[in-house]
Amino acid sequence: MTTGFDIDVRLALYREFVQIGRAPSVDRIAKMLKAPHKDVEAALDRLAAGKAIVLQPESRAVLMANPLCAVPTPFLVRTGDQSFFGSCVWDALGIIAMLQQDGSLDSSCACCGEAMTINIHDAQLLPAEGVIHFAIPAKQWWENIVFT
Amino acid sequence: MLLFRGKEHIDRWCRQWGQPKGAMLTIDQGWQLARSWYQHKMEPDWQRPTLEQTETLLAQLDLTDPFWSLR
Repeated sequence: MTTGFDIDVRLALYREFVQIGRAPSVDRIAKMLKAPHKDVEAALDRLAAGKAIVLQPESRAVLMANPLCAVPTPFLVRTGDQSFFGSCVWDALGIIAMLQQDGSLDSSCACCGEAMTINIHDAQLLPAEGVIHFAIPAKQWWENIVFT
Repeated sequence: MLLFRGKEHIDRWCRQWGQPKGAMLTIDQGWQLARSWYQHKMEPDWQRPTLEQTETLLAQLDLTDPFWSLR
């Protein structure tokens, strides 16, 4: 069950991730909120259980604060003077949508490797070639969200 | 969800990696889906959409064939 503290943790996580361009540690979030480390860990676990974020299976560090991804991927998003990684093309476009800024996605064709760029301006897609493929049916997405 | 230059590239990728063909979206459909799903994620009152809300969202984007079924 999500608590008011969980919302504080989610907002601190996302705001800091956007501010510094990488996922903050549990310690960093705890300091930001002046809260005990264990309470932040528990909140992150609840957020992950609610599928708001994804944690690394062993370290429990943040892997995805969806749409933001904490590790490099082939989906590089640039907004202003910042850059972020999305876990997939949907999430990468989601970063631009979430930040409500103009942005670009630099990626490549998963088949042939040809570079592809998608630009968003004033919340509109600029002309772009290409298509998106969803391999996994919707109801199975969360069975293995990293693969999806 | 991967990006491809065109349908024939999806077909080749599926053959190469032994993956079944799933669903193909235009990039604009993908952008609209991303906006619908993520534009409020950093807001304090954001909540993960319920199954019913997600079904409505997909239907609004004309994603209604069995591939998009959540049940």
